[in-house]
Amino acid sequence: MVVRQYTEELKYLEKINPYCWKIKKGFQPNMNVEGVFYVNSTLEKLMLDELRNSCRPGMTGGFLPGVKQIANVAALPGIVGRSVGLPDIHSGYGFAIGNMAAFDISDPNSIVSPGGVGFDINCGVRLLRTNLHEKDVQPIKEQLAQSLFDHIPVGVGSKGIIPMNARDMEEALEMGMDWSLREGYVWAEDKEHCEEYGRMLNADPSKVSLRAKKRGLPQLGTLGAGNHYAEIQVVDEIYDKYAAGKMGLEGVGQVCVMIHSGSRGFGHQVATDALVQMEKAMKRDKIETNDRQLACARINSVEGQDYLKAMAAAANFAWVNRSSMTFLTRQAFAKQFKMAPDDLDMHVIYDVSHNVAKIEEHVVDGKVKKLLVHRKGSTRAFPPHHPLIPVDYQLTGQPVLIGGSMGTCSYVLTGTHQGMTETFGSTCHGAGRALSRAKSRRNLDYKDVLNKLEGLGITIRVASPKLVMEEAPESYKNVTDVVNTCHSAGISKKTVKLRPIAVIKG
Amino acid sequence: MDEELGGFTIEELTLPPIKYEYLDHTADVQLHAWGDSLKEAFEQCGMAMFGYMTDLNYVQIREVHSVEANADDMMGLLYHFLDELLFLFSVEPFLICKKLVITEFNTEEFRIVCQCYGEEFQLGKHPQGTEVKAITYSAMQIIDEPKDNNFEVFVIIDI
Repeated sequence: MVVRQYTEELKYLEKINPYCWKIKKGFQPNMNVEGVFYVNSTLEKLMLDELRNSCRPGMTGGFLPGVKQIANVAALPGIVGRSVGLPDIHSGYGFAIGNMAAFDISDPNSIVSPGGVGFDINCGVRLLRTNLHEKDVQPIKEQLAQSLFDHIPVGVGSKGIIPMNARDMEEALEMGMDWSLREGYVWAEDKEHCEEYGRMLNADPSKVSLRAKKRGLPQLGTLGAGNHYAEIQVVDEIYDKYAAGKMGLEGVGQVCVMIHSGSRGFGHQVATDALVQMEKAMKRDKIETNDRQLACARINSVEGQDYLKAMAAAANFAWVNRSSMTFLTRQAFAKQFKMAPDDLDMHVIYDVSHNVAKIEEHVVDGKVKKLLVHRKGSTRAFPPHHPLIPVDYQLTGQPVLIGGSMGTCSYVLTGTHQGMTETFGSTCHGAGRALSRAKSRRNLDYKDVLNKLEGLGITIRVASPKLVMEEAPESYKNVTDVVNTCHSAGISKKTVKLRPIAVIKG
Repeated sequence: MDEELGGFTIEELTLPPIKYEYLDHTADVQLHAWGDSLKEAFEQCGMAMFGYMTDLNYVQIREVHSVEANADDMMGLLYHFLDELLFLFSVEPFLICKKLVITEFNTEEFRIVCQCYGEEFQLGKHPQGTEVKAITYSAMQIIDEPKDNNFEVFVIIDI
């Protein structure tokens, strides 16, 4: 690693507009392309402070600062365009969380990296709407929150209640949401409002280890812990009436449910297994990277192909998982309101993946190219008229769901043409951590956090008390800063702001 | 064997002192464990991981299971050892461990066999702590200095 003074480091960074910085070649060795990151003035400070801290002598922390990680990704073989850092970026394993990078499939040296997807493969967000108004929910909010908490298994060690054996699992891995549909857990329309229609076609369960399948089986239909949640939210503000209308969001006060979860232990194990395989492939194929954690393999190698097939199976697992929780959510609402989910109009508005790698066509230097696009802590945000987005959203652009931290707002954005050209149709994914978990626990008091949430009119059901501090809004970057930066930079457009009224967490 | 002890000897039920701590890390947590031997530091590191998933004071020793880990080097061995423990928790027998005793610690062929004492994780009985997604090699350190009787390990777990 290059060790330089902070002032020296800054010479490689250039602010190209109020929301965007360029990382020049040379910031890290062997950069094939430049890096870029999107920040406003508040987030800029966090970003540069992180870099400054890492320049102090004797710093031997766990991860490199986010800017360095963006630059290391820019040095990976086959990368095209730029290595992109989104406003919610924070340092992670190899790739920063909030980094997207695209690799040219026609280049035989191009790589695929499990670190560029993350351990929680196809972690994502789903938004359901209802025809209820906040005033319908308020009188029974506590019961409704409790009912959701009772229906959805949450937290470490909880087990799924969707009946499933090893054979069902194989089918679910291959079929994704088609399995959920066949088994009666979702509605046919749900699939239409889901990236990839809830099924990655290249999934191959035979490329998944028995270990991953064993870990996944008891956890299907569970929310998980950490930053995952199910929230009852209400529409707080509408910025784009037309687009909101297309999503069935008619006015302020309308009730929605947001589910943030991923592929659970299944995906974690697929990623773990792949990292071990790729270390070997790197030695064999002599792939050099700036950071050992950027384990990768050539896309066309056996390891690369096996990972993509296993990753697709994990993505399918995640969709089945979110679909199972959609089913449980609809049941919980139906019981409380004594109405069928249909009559409550509980449709899926959209379902996004923010930890995934996909093969997509993009224009690079004026030519259409097939790319492998890694999005880690980054959401696809395709513009209006893109062929891969559902007919309902052809004129608005793809809905992009940005989950806030506990007790803060969430947003619905839409994709833009500018995002398509600047960031390969990618935008932010959430708030992004600012404080370490231990620091949150030390600095924040359990009761204070709960009182504060209560003061905001937010009901909370949480399995682990210490999570309350770790996940407190103070531990995160401000999601509004993050979303406003994406909006101002033009890489996605604000459509609706949602405010939580009840939170269910691990 | 004494019935009240559930078939375990007093020695088996005796708990080791705590020789681990949790260090600051932005998104994840770093386990730091030490001991009078590298073997003990490994055992402590495993217990530290379980201590993050629940409050071990609520865990009783009612079952013992054996895990085996193999690797190509020491870091790999620590990684795979922890990964095996995580697996033991994640699938049948869903074991949450209060005590780990490494019975084979082979630093030449990089092999560990470990007896894991604890019980099945039960909601209601065991407080839910934080879920561990994966073990990482990130900033992993193994300090093995017999001269100074200094044995420490550092591991970042993804949570």
